[in-house]
Amino acid sequence: MITALLIALVVLGGSAGDLFITKGMKQLGEISTLNAKQLFIIFGRALMNRYFLIGVSFMAVSYFSFLGALRLADLSLVLPATSISFVITTVGARVFLKEVISPMRWTGILLVCIGVALISIPSQP
Amino acid sequence: MKTAAVLIIAIVAQAIGDVCLTKGMKAIAPAQTGGIELFDSLSQIAHIGLQAIQSPMVWVGTLMLIVFFVLFSAALSWADLSFVLPATAFGYVLNVAAGYYFLGETVSNRRWAGALIITLGVLFVSRSGDRTDEAPGNELRAAGVLE
Repeated sequence: MITALLIALVVLGGSAGDLFITKGMKQLGEISTLNAKQLFIIFGRALMNRYFLIGVSFMAVSYFSFLGALRLADLSLVLPATSISFVITTVGARVFLKEVISPMRWTGILLVCIGVALISIPSQP
Repeated sequence: MKTAAVLIIAIVAQAIGDVCLTKGMKAIAPAQTGGIELFDSLSQIAHIGLQAIQSPMVWVGTLMLIVFFVLFSAALSWADLSFVLPATAFGYVLNVAAGYYFLGETVSNRRWAGALIITLGVLFVSRSGDRTDEAPGNELRAAGVLE
């Protein structure tokens, strides 16, 4: 029960975090340099970006829930159980970020979900 | 290809990080069969927190996940979230393998099959192009003309 609750927090926090972080990073623009000074400046600008910070906050909620869940169950179970976030995040990316999900991509995401679901089912209940 | 190179390094860092964190946390507080009763007590949490920040494994694991996060964010500055996220799902495959080889976890044939299907899915996603939104103004933002 508590494991399920923690996994729900991992998933919802993670999806919201990904969406906000993507929004923030897209605002900063494409990173196309390997120059250390330039990268440092970009890093600083990311830390000042409102969307990026909101995303990181959601990620923090997700991360601490993940640590808690790892105390109660095996990594090879906890991690796959968070698979539903692929669907939630993809729908979010389509609605909020206006990304176009081609049939090829949906097929791939569906296969990923099936694979992750197969992994999630514990061998010995 | 830039996206592939960045994501492959990110995924490997994540797998190493997850293994280190699991080793570190399990060493502190082995999971009990009854589970924790809604977080036991605040003192229990404080105890675990203090032990965790003294564990080198937890530090290395956290550092590796930071490496993952920086590279993941960098990729999101030019690629779709709906591309980058499923692509990083290959990390699940590495985690199952790492759980088996380094943590002594039991991995059934079904889980190995799942890992295979994920690999197939990632191949499909990787062939779908990495940027679709192309909203007007992206180029201007990239050039620093727009906020």
